[in-house]
Amino acid sequence: MNRGISWRHFDFWLLGVIVFAIAFGVAMIRSAIAGNEEIAQSVTRQIQFAVIGLVVIILVASIDYRYWTALYIPMYIVMMILLIMIYISAQPQFGAARWFQVAGLFIQPTELAKVVEVLILARYFEVTKDRPRDLKWILGSLAWVWGLAIWILLQPNLSNVIVMMVIWAAMIWISGIQIKHLLWGALIGIMGIATAFPFLEQYQRDRVLTFLFPDANATYGATYNVQQALIAIGSGGLLGQGYGHGTQVQLRFLKVRHTDFIFSAISEEFGMIGAGLVIAILVFIVIRCLRTSRLARDITGAMIGYGIAVLIFFQGAVNISVNMNIIPVSGLPLPFISYGGSGLVSLMLGIGLVESVIIRHRQMEF
Amino acid sequence: MRLVYAVVAGVLFLLVFRLINLQVVENETWLEQAVENYTTSINEPAPRGIIYDRNGFVLARNLASYNVVITPADLPDDGADIQKIYRELSTLIEVPVNSGTVEDAKLVAPCTEGPGIAQLVELGDSNAPYTPVKVKCFVDEVKARIVSERAVDWPGVSVEVEPIRDYPTGSLTANVIGFLGPIPARLEADYLARGFVPRRDKVGYSGVELSLDEILLGRNGIRIIQEDVAGKELRNLEPPIATAPGNNVTLTIDTRLQSAAEAVLINEIREWNAYFGQERMSSGVVIAMNPQTGEILAMVTYPTYENNRMVRFIPGYYYEQLSQDPRRPLLNNAISSEFPPGSTFKLSTAVGALNEGVVTLSDIIEAPGQLVLTETFSPNDPGRERPFVDWTYNLNGVINPEGFGTIDYLHCIAYSSNVCFYKLGGGYKDEIPQGLGIERLGEYARAIGYNQPSGIALPGEQGGLIPTPQWKRINKGENWSTGDTYIASVGQGYVLATPLQVLMSGATIANDGKLMQPTIVREVQDSEGNVVEKWFDPATFEITDAKSSETSYQISPFSPTMKWDITQTPLIRDFVCEGPYCTETDKFKVVDPFVVQKVQEGMRLAVTDNQDGIRRGTLNKVFGDTTKFPIAIAGKTGTAEYCDDVALAANRCQFGAWPTHSWTLAYAPYDNPEIIILAFVYNGGEGASVAAPIVARVMQAYFEIKAIDLAAGGG
Repeated sequence: MNRGISWRHFDFWLLGVIVFAIAFGVAMIRSAIAGNEEIAQSVTRQIQFAVIGLVVIILVASIDYRYWTALYIPMYIVMMILLIMIYISAQPQFGAARWFQVAGLFIQPTELAKVVEVLILARYFEVTKDRPRDLKWILGSLAWVWGLAIWILLQPNLSNVIVMMVIWAAMIWISGIQIKHLLWGALIGIMGIATAFPFLEQYQRDRVLTFLFPDANATYGATYNVQQALIAIGSGGLLGQGYGHGTQVQLRFLKVRHTDFIFSAISEEFGMIGAGLVIAILVFIVIRCLRTSRLARDITGAMIGYGIAVLIFFQGAVNISVNMNIIPVSGLPLPFISYGGSGLVSLMLGIGLVESVIIRHRQMEF
Repeated sequence: MRLVYAVVAGVLFLLVFRLINLQVVENETWLEQAVENYTTSINEPAPRGIIYDRNGFVLARNLASYNVVITPADLPDDGADIQKIYRELSTLIEVPVNSGTVEDAKLVAPCTEGPGIAQLVELGDSNAPYTPVKVKCFVDEVKARIVSERAVDWPGVSVEVEPIRDYPTGSLTANVIGFLGPIPARLEADYLARGFVPRRDKVGYSGVELSLDEILLGRNGIRIIQEDVAGKELRNLEPPIATAPGNNVTLTIDTRLQSAAEAVLINEIREWNAYFGQERMSSGVVIAMNPQTGEILAMVTYPTYENNRMVRFIPGYYYEQLSQDPRRPLLNNAISSEFPPGSTFKLSTAVGALNEGVVTLSDIIEAPGQLVLTETFSPNDPGRERPFVDWTYNLNGVINPEGFGTIDYLHCIAYSSNVCFYKLGGGYKDEIPQGLGIERLGEYARAIGYNQPSGIALPGEQGGLIPTPQWKRINKGENWSTGDTYIASVGQGYVLATPLQVLMSGATIANDGKLMQPTIVREVQDSEGNVVEKWFDPATFEITDAKSSETSYQISPFSPTMKWDITQTPLIRDFVCEGPYCTETDKFKVVDPFVVQKVQEGMRLAVTDNQDGIRRGTLNKVFGDTTKFPIAIAGKTGTAEYCDDVALAANRCQFGAWPTHSWTLAYAPYDNPEIIILAFVYNGGEGASVAAPIVARVMQAYFEIKAIDLAAGGG
């Protein structure tokens, strides 16, 4: 099965940057613990997950990605069963059921589902490459996506449904959707949002509303986390307060600082240098994935590289935008840097797939 | 694909733009907010100074009171756990878990009963979750201990210790000590600037708590600290300012004498009211002072109030009841209320008449029971005949047209003959061709303490009134009449004085013409017990560490302050008089020491005059018994007719039988006075029969206390 692969094409730059990003993230998580007993284990856990993730990258990279697309039916079914199980059986924790607790670890199938979606769509656009770009073609791809997304929506986890829809939209765009369908889609999308808004969960509506119309009197509560994040970022300045010396982080004014708001923590302690580095890392990873997509030998490979690039870029951009109060609060982590095992391993699985594509971008080489 | 790169570049641009905006452009604003986040100012209240009496007996101190508080942020996360804590706490402290709404809770002041625990905490949580919310104030010590013990199982619940003022002597000294209250809204800015916390720190509202507030307050400790999000203190950001406890104050009051005086006054009033079968005498004042030093030993007013009821908060209904009471229990009537001084004012006329040569010691004055005089309002006014009666004329319906017959100057004082003093003040035919006149009377009255606040370190002092013709034209729209002079000569008409002023007039005579500054403060000690120098300026009520102005005098350590000596200081303006009309000159003169001595003799004669059982000396019945009073005593009574709103309403103002206030002042020993006592009873009737017995008993108490102190080897 490893016959004919050449590690010469393995993207060491990509791997190197990812390892650097994870190391940077671990360092920042360590600072962000700031004496909180409950999250004191996160550094060790993150390192453990990173090691697992590295093994996953090597393993996945060594396996030809087309094996995965060939096994799309069992993969899709297993993923769907996992999502249904989490919807049905998981205990409500922190307001929404998103984890499996296995052997003391929280496993979040939703993170995996996004990578699976990329694979499924990659296969779909590969096999339908000669089909007319008609409505049936579009609805076919949507059906594959919604087979998984519906269970995530029911959790309810709107943010990840949006991520999945963005991946789908980006991939169908690159596959050549017709402009008239795009316009219709946009119209239906807007109407859908307008009609769906009253059916959203209260906290989701509140998030959107507090973003759109901040209440000047609400000093505590709804706008608190974002406000503290802005103070953290803003007070970092050019050079930052210094590692372990950011008052917002160390005195715990900044909430969820090791996960959703780690960008703010970095911005406070490392200033614009650190924040700029995070953005640069993100852009570099995206560019390397897009490069893989360009060089891939087939549509499946191109789609995998492209899909993972979209996944990483969208999540990263949303997370940073939330930190800087550009968009409403959503629970998306900062790729490779935020604490979170499932997210990290899933994204590293995605990187493994990208590496698998780049390794095999020439069929033969002697 | 190019579009994808464009999107990435566009998003990148947006993020970097926003980042620069936040971290470079707005950096300072956010940095300020970060600093504000972790900076907290802790204001530690300074313990208020303790007030002692002259023997070290505590009159005002600080006690701990316990409040049960809940810090919303420290409560458990689980709603059910919170409810359990509320329910358990509710049964212990008897505050309902739920009562009213949060909106209702917003309307009530802290410590007011009404809102339930849940409502109070919810309100506190929305304002400042790390600030403890008072759910029950002033619980007793036992409950406080129970809550403290159980607080281990009740996260967020704790007991806060708050100092409150305690007055061991309560209403006995309330008029002097006063009470505290919250910082008034209009002074909030001032107190804030000096480090005090409105709605927490209390300030004096009356008595010495108000007048000596500056020295009692101390200085709050202020620490600027860094704290984390949970409110945990981490370190001082600035050098802390230590708490400076307030200075302790020792007053000149002797609580034993104060207590005796109060008992005597109340008993006398009750006895008479019981005798008359009606609430006739409604209020009274007793003041005891050392005439040589000006130290106030006792200052009793009745009725008064219980200042211990004001220590936690000022109860609205109680305050309302006190302030509506026509007897004015909230005021220190010894200094804040003005009454006609009646015959006690004759001391002014007596000093003036003899010093101005209106009368000589050898002059014999006819003093019939009533005198018909011509009242004129201007030089050409033909006038109107009007009878002026003496107090002996109509005694319980027995008409005595003889009056006192013919008496000399000393007996005029001793018998307190109104007719005699009418003549001295206003002149009478050839007998007293040139009366003293209102202008000169005013000069002498002022010289012995009338018509100006004494400057004692107590708030709300009134100045009294000695009328002048000009005053009458401005305020009454009428010319001064000869009759006005006659009745002013006996302390009636428009003359008004505070009980303290009346006491001072007697003390000035007793002290050979030296007017001593009356004082309530004996010494001020810092928190380590060292006596500190303090000066008080009655003009501004400012207390300073050194003499600050002409009017200020030293209150600590106590040293007798003489305001003036009427035999040395030329205070009396010279007037040239012709009939009832006098014109002022630029000359000033003193009082001949011989005059003061003769007035003393007249006051002594009031005690000793007993001609074969005819006890005409006004104080002879009370003080004449040398077995009861082996020490020589001198004094003056007063029976002052009045007609105020209360008397009018009660229909008491009957012509010829006006209601009267009862006055008496007496001092002892006669040759070297160390105590002067004044009693005043509102609507008390005759001075000799109501106020004089009070003075006598307080005098006895004074010498008994002195004997006890001497026996104990003290001073």
